Amino acid sequence: MTMDKGKIKILLLAIASTSLTWILNHHLGLGPIVANGLIGVLAAILMPGALAGVAYTSSFVGMSSLAVLPSIMFALIGGLIAGFVIITTTEIYAGIGGKGGTTAAAAALVTRAISGLLG
Amino acid sequence: MNILLIILTAIAAGVTTYFIANNLKKGAVLASASVTLASGIIFPYFFPTMGSTLMVVAACASYGGMVSRRNAPSIIDMIMISAIIGMLFSITATSYAGIGGRLGTIAAISCFAWLGVKNSAKAASRARKSDFLSKSVGIWQ
Repeated sequence: MTMDKGKIKILLLAIASTSLTWILNHHLGLGPIVANGLIGVLAAILMPGALAGVAYTSSFVGMSSLAVLPSIMFALIGGLIAGFVIITTTEIYAGIGGKGGTTAAAAALVTRAISGLLG
Repeated sequence: MNILLIILTAIAAGVTTYFIANNLKKGAVLASASVTLASGIIFPYFFPTMGSTLMVVAACASYGGMVSRRNAPSIIDMIMISAIIGMLFSITATSYAGIGGRLGTIAAISCFAWLGVKNSAKAASRARKSDFLSKSVGIWQ
């Protein structure tokens, strides 16, 4: 997989979106639903369609509980993994409602495995 | 009673998202995010006991409402997908709790289930028609 400017942008956006959702969810205590909704609305208003989709999808990873993402460090790792999953699965099942959530669930499960390995 | 309320909430949230995304042409992300945000604020306020469950159901159905018009051409499709989401949510309430993306996965499974039912029904109808035609030709021969 070659990394061009567009893919790096997606990775950075995924990391930012996941960690922002995690902060809104756990640090500010807004809860996962409101945090995800806020990030989604902001992304849809401020960004073009494709990038808003990336931000919304990676925001699902930030909805994870503290058992899955115990610290902001793991939220950053989760965002990075979500970005990689989004880049590699762009064309698969496009137009199916919930595709973004499934992508995020895959990233969250990989992150949980990594956090389990690191103790 | 609880399951009925969950299914009705899922249908309302799914159809609202589908309507905002396709009929009002606001895009799937804005439609789903606004329904999710509204449900996260409204449900806990108006339903103190069941609000926390209903807001999660509504968010889950709003992810399903992001389905494209190619896969769900009519509002009836969206109602059926939302009803499956409500049922699936009730069944899988304790599975993979705390994993981000769990709700989206429920929505995706429901979309695939409905598309499967629709395609099977179409295939069965085609098979019946071709069977009827071959019998009709047989009579004339």
